[in-house]
Amino acid sequence: MDVEQASDANLVVAVGRWHEPALAEIYRRHGGAVHALSRRMLRSDPLAEEVTQEVFLDLWRNPEKFDAQRGTLRSFLLARTHGKSVDVVRAEESRRRREDRSTRETATAAYDIDHEVWDLTVAEQVKDALGALPDDLRRPIELAYFGGRTYQEVAVLLDQPEGTVKSRIRSGLGRLRVNLMEQGIEPAGAGL
Amino acid sequence: MSTPARLSHEEIRELLGAYALDALDADTAAVVDEHLGGCVRCMAEVDQHHEVAGLLANSGGTPPAELWDGIASRLGGTSDDSWDRLAARLDVPGPVSTGPQVVPLDPARRRSRLVAGGAGLVAAAAAVIALVFGVQVDHLHTQVNALQATSRLSGAERAALAESGTRRIPLTDPARTGVTPATIVLTAAGTGFVVNDRSAGLAPLPAARTYQLWAVVGTRTISLGLLGSHPGIVPFSVAGSPGVSAFAITDEVSGGVVQTANQPVAEGTVRV
Repeated sequence: MDVEQASDANLVVAVGRWHEPALAEIYRRHGGAVHALSRRMLRSDPLAEEVTQEVFLDLWRNPEKFDAQRGTLRSFLLARTHGKSVDVVRAEESRRRREDRSTRETATAAYDIDHEVWDLTVAEQVKDALGALPDDLRRPIELAYFGGRTYQEVAVLLDQPEGTVKSRIRSGLGRLRVNLMEQGIEPAGAGL
Repeated sequence: MSTPARLSHEEIRELLGAYALDALDADTAAVVDEHLGGCVRCMAEVDQHHEVAGLLANSGGTPPAELWDGIASRLGGTSDDSWDRLAARLDVPGPVSTGPQVVPLDPARRRSRLVAGGAGLVAAAAAVIALVFGVQVDHLHTQVNALQATSRLSGAERAALAESGTRRIPLTDPARTGVTPATIVLTAAGTGFVVNDRSAGLAPLPAARTYQLWAVVGTRTISLGLLGSHPGIVPFSVAGSPGVSAFAITDEVSGGVVQTANQPVAEGTVRV
């Protein structure tokens, strides 16, 4: 099998046959994005490395969880990365709460990530699409996604009703998808 | 935070964006999870949100090479179940070609071999795979049911994948810790495959040499046949010999041996 020529889906099938070079190729293709996301969310190299390793080990152990019919391998891996990173963020936050009752101050400092979001080396089109969103739609997405916070926590930070934030995250993602398509980017995923 | 045990479809739809961004508390996420299991429309929306979110994080870059070393060192212990569950995924467009470099078992060697006396002993304790091969070699209980034709192997392999109870037994290199040059896939019915990664597993042997597969059953060591000098996927059967406790592969002279004094180049125990 020429792993460099194989599609992502076929590499995952090969991983299911314990073909280690296939996993290595998947890591070569997507490891950078996985590691970058976890590092940006966790701001800790050791924690980011642990999350990255766990994401690829999970794929090795449970390749059947990836369904090519439902989206790209990269988005699958990034979703797993995000979920694991959120777990770490919340565990850290819980620990911090136990250690420091001035939760709000600590949390607010942790949420100050606006500039970091824009520091991402995302494609210009993605930046443009995100930038084209009104602030009231963009901010909840950024805070929830890159900050690893629940929508209720985002509501507190933005001083908005929870229901409003919940709806804006959803409608913001929908608008972002439209913006991306207008930029010539067609996100994968099953149609509605 | 209290979460209603049941939410309406519309209430859950409003949560899908937050769900896709992992922005729900665990209890609410569990309620959404349950709903998604039976709602294709909502699942499709979540998939779309994941794709969009993935683009936001799509910062790429070169992954740290040293991180891969850490991953590679932890690849053992794959869940057996994943093999079965993956079967349904085999028909993705453009199937992989990890096979079918079939090296059929030598038909002449498939016939029963007789025990070469009671020479030696086998300590078949599963915990210690010190397979001493200067030992009693029982006759081959099982006819090696070689599925030699390439096209048939693919079908047989798929059938094996689909069977419940199929197990995977990694064969490790006793001389190199953590190295797994080959794997045994063994169905509950006793049909098995030696799967060797031809690029990174058992190295090619000179023409005058061959790999030979052995099984330990009780206190007996049974030759299951020859694998050739550079095996890919090779089928075998132990259908008549329940209770195999270990497998091993040795490097032998071409034509194989009835018993061996060589140390295994790969070995693995069968977990009960």
